[in-house]
Amino acid sequence: MEQIVFGIGITALTGALATVAGSAEDTESNIGSQGDPNSQVQLAPQMGFLHRIFNKAVAGEPPAYGLWCALGAGLAWAFMAMQINAILAIVLGCVLAVFVQGVYATTAYLGRTASLAKFGQPVYVDIIKSMTTVTMAHAFIAIFCTVALCQLINGALGHPFPLPLLALIWGIALGAAGSATGNPYYGKERQYQNQKFGAGVPISASGNIVRYAEAGERNSIDNGFFTHKIGGSASGICFGLIVFLELWRTILFEKIYAGWGAIAVGVLLILIFTVIDRYIEVWARKNYGPYTAAKEAES
Amino acid sequence: MSAVAAKPQAGGAMNPTAMAVGVVLLIIILGACWVVSPNLGLMALIGIIIGGVLIGFGTHFVPVGGAPAAMGQAPGIATGVAMLAAGAGLAGLFGGAWAAEQGMVVAVVTGGIGGGLMMAITCLMVNFVYVFGMGIPAASGKVLHDPITGDSQAEYKSQGTEGHGLPFVSFVGGVIGGILGGAGGTLIYLELLGLYEATFPTMMNATAAQVLPVAVSVAGMFAVALFLVNAVLTAYNITGTIEGPHDPKFKRWPRAIVASAVASALCGFVAILIVAM
Repeated sequence: MEQIVFGIGITALTGALATVAGSAEDTESNIGSQGDPNSQVQLAPQMGFLHRIFNKAVAGEPPAYGLWCALGAGLAWAFMAMQINAILAIVLGCVLAVFVQGVYATTAYLGRTASLAKFGQPVYVDIIKSMTTVTMAHAFIAIFCTVALCQLINGALGHPFPLPLLALIWGIALGAAGSATGNPYYGKERQYQNQKFGAGVPISASGNIVRYAEAGERNSIDNGFFTHKIGGSASGICFGLIVFLELWRTILFEKIYAGWGAIAVGVLLILIFTVIDRYIEVWARKNYGPYTAAKEAES
Repeated sequence: MSAVAAKPQAGGAMNPTAMAVGVVLLIIILGACWVVSPNLGLMALIGIIIGGVLIGFGTHFVPVGGAPAAMGQAPGIATGVAMLAAGAGLAGLFGGAWAAEQGMVVAVVTGGIGGGLMMAITCLMVNFVYVFGMGIPAASGKVLHDPITGDSQAEYKSQGTEGHGLPFVSFVGGVIGGILGGAGGTLIYLELLGLYEATFPTMMNATAAQVLPVAVSVAGMFAVALFLVNAVLTAYNITGTIEGPHDPKFKRWPRAIVASAVASALCGFVAILIVAM
């Protein structure tokens, strides 16, 4: 019983860490403009719309976070093998991983923006100075939380995988959840704030991203501030739920019927999420209604 | 003929010669494995091939819209095919590896359910953001009616787009893809773990308990690597984006099955060679 209570406590803590990690990951990727919406940041100058948005997408978010988390965890593991306190080791490992992220962000911005020189897009040195550190700070939060939750899973809950491999797996899952949930909000709602609310961006509008703010030109920190409210929170809830429910069903129900208990609870959870998804879909169709009459659309 | 003048090839067309070459390659690799390690190695390789095929087939179910989905211009999840499949499958592998002690069937099913649960949560949150964050209902661009619910789709597509969000069939496809991917990844891990647990003690002149952490780590790394190989290979077959099982591109799966089987066999053979040679 005591072991189960301990397990539930660790599960709750990992869920909370995952929620913070998901939120920070999405905000970092939006400030750095790393997900799929970056295609528009890259496209805009080619369509004649010069801007001051950061531009660092070289890899997708999942492999990038897989790398950074595995790097942070691997270094933390090495520090722990040198008898350094676990918390200090994780902090040091993540700091070093974040420096790699910073180098990656700087070279990506310079390289990608320089490739747009023939379209007249300047490389802004002040953008590198002011925004790289902001993405690094958010990346540190995301990497630290992910490595810390992997250490809890490995050390306290006894998962057989070593820390770096766990961090690689959960880093990729973090990037996948964060980019899947957060990208549409940044791509449609923020970059195309000049388009109608409640409709997708017409393909003809591609590249015409919003470039001006209340005062002066819009920058990527404004984007992070805006998207964090819904995109960041939703990404955090998404990754937090994935980690929490995966651990929760294992810790509580694994012993029931030799493992089949956890499977049954997993199936039940999938069915519950399916019903909620269907409810949301029908709710949207009823409340927002169709864009055109049915016959016209089918013709 | 220049690249511009060339007509686009029918993406779904099967090339019988290429398929035959693939099958022959598969038989050659299986034969080589039989020569090197006739019992344990060959059985492990067959398990790895089945796991790889499950991953390759499962990836076709995952609804991925890529960059257009991020602007609400196309349905699906706004990220890459291989990356999303990897995220879901590896989350499944995490659960499956944990349940390894409870037997192969329980572990593989646990891995599958772990992947399915990850995809169910992700797909739900995608629709949540579309509906409550952006005020956009889900609509498919490839079919007039949702094959499962029968809901009409065309009039819910906003002007100038190919659809947006995840219609119910795409949600179900995502969950199925996660289940197949998680189960396949776990199967590969278990086959390699069994092989390494049996062979490492003799190789390293150590007890079974001493080699267990090494066996788990090496099997885990090969399982992740094989997962990525199969997911990326399938992403090439899909060429960018797919809405799910109702998408015409889904019919290309036989090609991916052969390719995944050959790639898994080759990579699995390398994983077996490190203990068989």
